[in-house]
Amino acid sequence: MSISLPTYSRLEIPLLGRRERVWAIIATGLRREFRRPAAIVVIAIGVAFTTITSIVLVLFASFLLPGQPLNLSFFALPASNGFVLFFVSLMAAIIGSGLIADDLHSMAFTLYLSRPITHLDYLLAKAVILAPLVSMITVLPLVITALVAAFLFPLVFSWGVALQAIGLSVAVGLLLALFNTSVALFLSSLTRRKGLAAAGMFGGNFGLFIPASILASAIGNPNLLYLSPWNDYLAVASAAFGAPGIGIDWPGALAILLGVTVLAALVTYLRMKSVEVITG
Amino acid sequence: MLVETAGLTKVFGEVRAVDDLTVKIPDGAIGLVGPNGAGKTTFLRLLLSLVRPTAGTAKVLGRDIEDGVPVRERIGYMPEHDCLIPDMTGVGLVSYMARISGLDRDTAMSRSHDVLQFVGVDEERYRKVAEYSTGMKQKIKLAQAMVHDPQLYVFDEPTTGLDPRGREEMLDLVGTIAKSPGRNVILSSHLLPDVETICKYVVILDGGHQIAAGELSQLLTGATDRLRIDVRGDRDAFVRLLKDAGFDADAGPSGLHVSRKPGLEAAVFETAKSLGAEVRYMGKEIRSLEELFLELVARTEKRGA
Repeated sequence: MSISLPTYSRLEIPLLGRRERVWAIIATGLRREFRRPAAIVVIAIGVAFTTITSIVLVLFASFLLPGQPLNLSFFALPASNGFVLFFVSLMAAIIGSGLIADDLHSMAFTLYLSRPITHLDYLLAKAVILAPLVSMITVLPLVITALVAAFLFPLVFSWGVALQAIGLSVAVGLLLALFNTSVALFLSSLTRRKGLAAAGMFGGNFGLFIPASILASAIGNPNLLYLSPWNDYLAVASAAFGAPGIGIDWPGALAILLGVTVLAALVTYLRMKSVEVITG
Repeated sequence: MLVETAGLTKVFGEVRAVDDLTVKIPDGAIGLVGPNGAGKTTFLRLLLSLVRPTAGTAKVLGRDIEDGVPVRERIGYMPEHDCLIPDMTGVGLVSYMARISGLDRDTAMSRSHDVLQFVGVDEERYRKVAEYSTGMKQKIKLAQAMVHDPQLYVFDEPTTGLDPRGREEMLDLVGTIAKSPGRNVILSSHLLPDVETICKYVVILDGGHQIAAGELSQLLTGATDRLRIDVRGDRDAFVRLLKDAGFDADAGPSGLHVSRKPGLEAAVFETAKSLGAEVRYMGKEIRSLEELFLELVARTEKRGA
C-alpha cells in the first residue's frame, strides 16, 4: 500500500535534459526486449550458432579447409559465416520490425511525441536499442572466435594477429549491424504491421542475395553481386582481412552499404516527421 | 495568456481542419467545444507541435509552438484515442513517461505511484495495460499526463467511453487539477455538460473557425436587452405575430428571443392567448452551454447557407 496521500501534489525538482530522456527510452526498450521470449530465443540461438560454427572452423581448420592459410585472412571465414546472414535477418525481423510499427499500431507514437523529445531523439533511441542486439550476432561471435584462436593456438594465431582480427571484426561487424539497423527501422516505419516489415527484412537480405548470386554466375557478370547487401558485406570483409575477394570491388561495395544505410536513416527520419496525424 | 494564436491554419488535403484561427485564451480552466470535426483535436495537436501549421503562429504559455521541446515540457497531454503501450504495466508506463519527460528514475517511480493513487488506480497498477478496462485506461492516460507536474493540462475528450460513474470520477479528477493553483486546463469535449462543470472560459469552434469565446457566465447570460421566451405551441406563428406587433423576434433552438421594448410583456401574453399557446418561461437569456452552442451553430449554418 502506498504511503502517499491521494492528493494532487506538486513536483519541486527540475527536469533532466534530453540525453537522459533518450537514455530512458533506450534502457526501457532494451529491458523490454530482454523480457520477450522470442527476442531472448533469437539472441541466444543466434549468438550460440554463429559463435560455435566459427569456433569449429578454428578448431578443425586444417581438416575442413586444407590449404587455408592460418593468418589474418583466416578470419574472413567466420565473418562470412552464413549463419550471420540468417540470424541478423531474424534478429532485425523479430526485434527491429516492431520497434516503430508497434508504436504506430498502438498509437503510442503520439504519446512519445507529446513528451519533450524530438522525432530525432525518438529514432535515435530506437536505433540504439536495435544496433547492440544486432551487433551481438555481427560482432560478438567474431571477437570470441579471435580470442579462442589466440588462446588455443598461440603458436598459429599470435596475439598480434588476434588483436588485429578483433579490431577488423568490430569494424566490419558494426558496418553490417548499422546497415541492418537502419533498414529494419526504415521498414518498420513504413507500416503498422510488423509482420510486413519482418517479411521485408528477409526479402531484402535473402531475396537479393540468392537471385543475384545465381544470376551473376549464370550470365558471368559479377557486377550483379553489388545488388545484394550480403555480397557487398562479403566483399568488404574479405578485403579487410586480406582474403581473396568474391569478384566485386570492396570500395564500391562499401559505398553501397554506407549509402543505403544513410539513405534509409534519412528517409526514416523524413517519414516519421511526416507521420503527424494519427486518428483520434 | 495561456494560448495566443494568429491566423493559425491547418489544411489536410482539401480539408481546412483549423481555418485562420485567431484566439487569445486566458489562464485558468478553458473549455474547447465544438461538434465532431470542428477542429478541436487538430487545434490541440498544433499547440503540442504534433502537427505543423500550414499558416499562422501560436504561442503557448508565452512560448512559440515552433520551439517544440520547451513547450511540451510544460504540457501534459491526455489524448482521446487509445495510445498506451499494451505490454507495459500501469505503473511501468507512467514512470516510463515520467522519465521521458525528464524525471530521474527514483522520482519517476515515486511520482508515478503518487499520481496513480490520485487517479484511483490501486493494485491494478501492476497489471498489464492490455488487460485494463476503458475506465482504467483513461485513468492511466490522465496519470501519465500529470506525472511531470505540467503547467498546462490538455485533455482531449477525457470522458469518452466512460460509464456515468466513471465519467463523474474523471470530471472530479479534472476539476481538482483545474482548481490547483498555477495549473491550467484546456478541456476539449463535445459533451457540453462536462465543460460546463469544469470550465470558466470557453472557446467554441465549428468548421475550424472560432464562433464564440468568452467567460462562460457571460456567454450564457447573453444580451441584457433581450428576453428569452419558452413557448409551448406554434412557435413560428408566435414569432410572426410578435413581429407584426413591431417587436424584433426570432426563434432559436433554445427558445424565442425578443428585444426588450415597452409593451413587450403585454404583447407576449396577448399573442399567447390568441394562439392558445402556453408561455413557460419569460426572462433573461440564461441558457445552458448546450443551448448556446446549438444556437451559435445554427446561426453559423444559416450564414453559410
